[in-house]
Amino acid sequence: MAHRTPRRRLYRILLRLLPRDVREQWGRDMEEVFAHRLARDGGSPLRSVTVWIRAVADLLGHAAAERWAPRRGGKGGGWRMTGQDLRYAVRAVGRAPVFALAAVVTLALGIGSVTATFSVVHAVLLEELPYQAPDRLVMVWPEENYNKAMVASTLEAVPALESLSGYSVWDFTLTGEGEPREVKGVLVSAGHFELLGVEAALGRTFTPEEGEPGRAGVVVLSHGLWVRAFGADPDVLGRVLELSGAEYDRRTVVGIMPAGYDPLLGEGDLWVPLETDPSLSPEEDGSWFVNGRIGRLAPGIALEQAQEQVRAYALAIQARMPRLLDVEDARTATVQPLRTFVAQGLDRVLWVALGAVSLVLLIAAANVTNLLLARGEARARDIAVRSALGAPRRRMMRMLMAESGFLGGAGGILGVLLAYGLVHVLVRSAPADFPRIQEVDVDRAVLTFAVAVTLLATLVAGFVPAWRGSRANVVSSLGGGARGAGGRGSSRLNNTLVGAQVGLAVMVVVGSGLMLRSLHRRLEVDPGIRGEGVLTLHPNPPESRYTEASAYRQYYAEVLRRVGGLPGVRSVGAINLLPGTQSNWSFPTYPEDVDIAEDGTVPSVNFRGVVPGYFETVGIPLLRGRVLEAGDRTDAEAVLVVNEAFVKEFWPDGTALGKGVRVFSRTGAPYRVVGVVADVRQHSRKEEPRPELYVSYEQWGWGAIWSVDPDVPISGLDELAAVMGRSTGTTRFLALLLTGFGMLALCLGAVGVFGVTTYMVGRRTPELGVRIALGGSRISVLATALRGSLTPVLAGMLVGLLGAASTSGLLDSVLYGIEPTDPVTFAGVSLLLVGVATLATLLPAWRTTRRMDPVRVLNGD
Amino acid sequence: MADMPDPTHDLPLHPLEFRILLALLEGASYGTRIVEHIEAVEGHRMTLYPANLYRRIRDLLARGLLAEASAPQGADPRRTYLRITAVGRAVARAEARRLQELVGEAARHRLLPGS
Repeated sequence: MAHRTPRRRLYRILLRLLPRDVREQWGRDMEEVFAHRLARDGGSPLRSVTVWIRAVADLLGHAAAERWAPRRGGKGGGWRMTGQDLRYAVRAVGRAPVFALAAVVTLALGIGSVTATFSVVHAVLLEELPYQAPDRLVMVWPEENYNKAMVASTLEAVPALESLSGYSVWDFTLTGEGEPREVKGVLVSAGHFELLGVEAALGRTFTPEEGEPGRAGVVVLSHGLWVRAFGADPDVLGRVLELSGAEYDRRTVVGIMPAGYDPLLGEGDLWVPLETDPSLSPEEDGSWFVNGRIGRLAPGIALEQAQEQVRAYALAIQARMPRLLDVEDARTATVQPLRTFVAQGLDRVLWVALGAVSLVLLIAAANVTNLLLARGEARARDIAVRSALGAPRRRMMRMLMAESGFLGGAGGILGVLLAYGLVHVLVRSAPADFPRIQEVDVDRAVLTFAVAVTLLATLVAGFVPAWRGSRANVVSSLGGGARGAGGRGSSRLNNTLVGAQVGLAVMVVVGSGLMLRSLHRRLEVDPGIRGEGVLTLHPNPPESRYTEASAYRQYYAEVLRRVGGLPGVRSVGAINLLPGTQSNWSFPTYPEDVDIAEDGTVPSVNFRGVVPGYFETVGIPLLRGRVLEAGDRTDAEAVLVVNEAFVKEFWPDGTALGKGVRVFSRTGAPYRVVGVVADVRQHSRKEEPRPELYVSYEQWGWGAIWSVDPDVPISGLDELAAVMGRSTGTTRFLALLLTGFGMLALCLGAVGVFGVTTYMVGRRTPELGVRIALGGSRISVLATALRGSLTPVLAGMLVGLLGAASTSGLLDSVLYGIEPTDPVTFAGVSLLLVGVATLATLLPAWRTTRRMDPVRVLNGD
Repeated sequence: MADMPDPTHDLPLHPLEFRILLALLEGASYGTRIVEHIEAVEGHRMTLYPANLYRRIRDLLARGLLAEASAPQGADPRRTYLRITAVGRAVARAEARRLQELVGEAARHRLLPGS
């Protein structure tokens, strides 16, 4: 058999869950099977976590079955809980209901939070994507300037890929089915669905021929759209829809996808074939670029092989077509597992969140340990009597563990109920673009996890108290009143508990502090626009009535005039793409005095078409020159306005006014720069502003703009600030989540310190009484108590800060504007913790000394 | 063979039990080798974890469908080798017949290609 690795050793420890006879006969073989499983399926850290979780669930499930319902030929369990133990536990809990409630609620808070967080981690990171052999699905980069013909040529040049599908997300307008509606469509290569290994729920997906020019007038509907727009009518198959948006205005419905099919995160209401002319080479294909590419690796191919081949292909294309592809883009071309792409870089932060909430659970378990220890002392006499009557220690431990098991079980059940509620809240408050959020659910895997966590927490919380409690000192317990067990060892244990709780709380609170500071920093960034008080609307001039550019101009002029005339409206403007949304137009641009070699890369600049009034309306300040005006019409000189980033990038000396800029081609008539405006963070506050130019609709031409991006129905009114707020949604959500954990950690930690101090001060009551009787002031007594508990608090804090400093780097990818070791956060958290710990110490100490009557204390009452 | 129990009493077999019996038809073997054998045929359709596997094996042992075998020459003596018993063989045959009838019925309903 293979040499025993640490993993196998860990698994061997887990095997102790099984009855001894089973373990002794089969343990060795089971270890070997587990090692095989891990070697076969545990390729990456993520997968080996999955294997471990499944192996633990496998063991727990079967161990429970072995012990409580032994199979034919098996023997009963070795430490099966007897009815007597259970009765004892129920009686013990019944005698101290407040203690029991405190323990159950504390455990439930910990277990509930961990379970809810795990359900998110499970859905987003662990659960297989619902496609055939999802491990072989990948995304192919570079992101930009990938034309349709390159999809086919990539597949030819990269043997590591078995198939490849390009896609583009597009807005469509569905008319003739009641109210016109705006729908999100995805243009996909004809083999897209075969690549993913999914079939239509009704009808069929696309045939290979439907990807050819002139054959693509078909559409596959999502389950959601089928229900919303067609009332789930199966007769919609074969119907011709009026669906304008891309190339065809009428398309025949050939299939309906199953519910939940959505590989691109909420972007698909329908799918249409991406028309590709197979005779075109990448150089000849001048149509447009696809947004992304999903590929399937050939069987047995490693990711690295595919990455190398794709990079080689991109570099070759770059050499052939330097104007199309940037050298840097080609060099960084790569292949990324689809699962990673879908997780949107949240994998690390989600693991951090799960780690943080596990620490919270540990704090909760430590609190319960505390409670059980205090109870144990009160019961020392009872245990001593049983022990004196000859009960073996093993039996006592079992009895005491039954009590914590009972509390743990109740905490687990309440925790799972809490998790259901929390998951509901999480799903509802998550931003819509949070990956796979709709799949988050308390399912069987999550419940198994909750059971495992409950067992673990019960064991952690109950073992030490049971161990200590069962070691009854008959003489001192029976001879010396109720204050028997304990002494120096006991206070050392208490100090360790306090220190551990503070240390854990520091780590969690530092994490949430960093997220909060980072969110604050991001909201502080000036987006360059005043979004408050600006209403946006998205009008839809029906295509059938507005076929001419002049008709569009009239329509919009009328919309602007009427909106401008409404009471309370101060100014009106318009732009083709609202800031804060993810769409972008950027075109090849040739600024005057900028040397661009014939075969060099042409700079691509953000392009916006606006209606005069836009800058004033959204509050973009004019820095130099003038903004676009009503007089900038086709019969006047062609002019444009650029932003500051544009000037910095192309004319570092700052002279911009009066210079010429050509858009699209180096030979066309130039526009003259008449103004410079401040930068706007178009997509999110996280991104630096990009060079941008603004042209008047009048001069660019209505038809030109609207024929590229066809109109959509009016889609509700939104405040611009709200539209822009969506770009910070995920950060906000994660910050809230971690802050919740931080608060919980702080509260549980404070309760822990409070409990231990109460208990310790209580134990020292005789000593304190003597001090007061001898003339010591209450202040000096308080100071003694504070000294006693602040030492472990400070020690715990130090360890916690070190732990936080060494792990906070994991948050780096989601932090903005601060370092993971941000001194302000660390100092603030330290102060907060010291303050809370001081309060939690002084309060019980003060209460005790205030009530203390030295005479009674000295009499031993 | 007069006291051989009626093999149909054990039917239908759990798919994993049937798989284990099939894996042992080629001769005595042990846990990991059985898992490899099953995975070679089933691929990712059947992912086996130890507790589940050995519970089934112990169950089959208790029912007399399997028996422990002596380890072959040179094998690791700490491994438990298993072999299929005559009863196990009869039950496997009965299960195969049962599945054959099932497949026959599916074919009559034209569920299979070429049927």
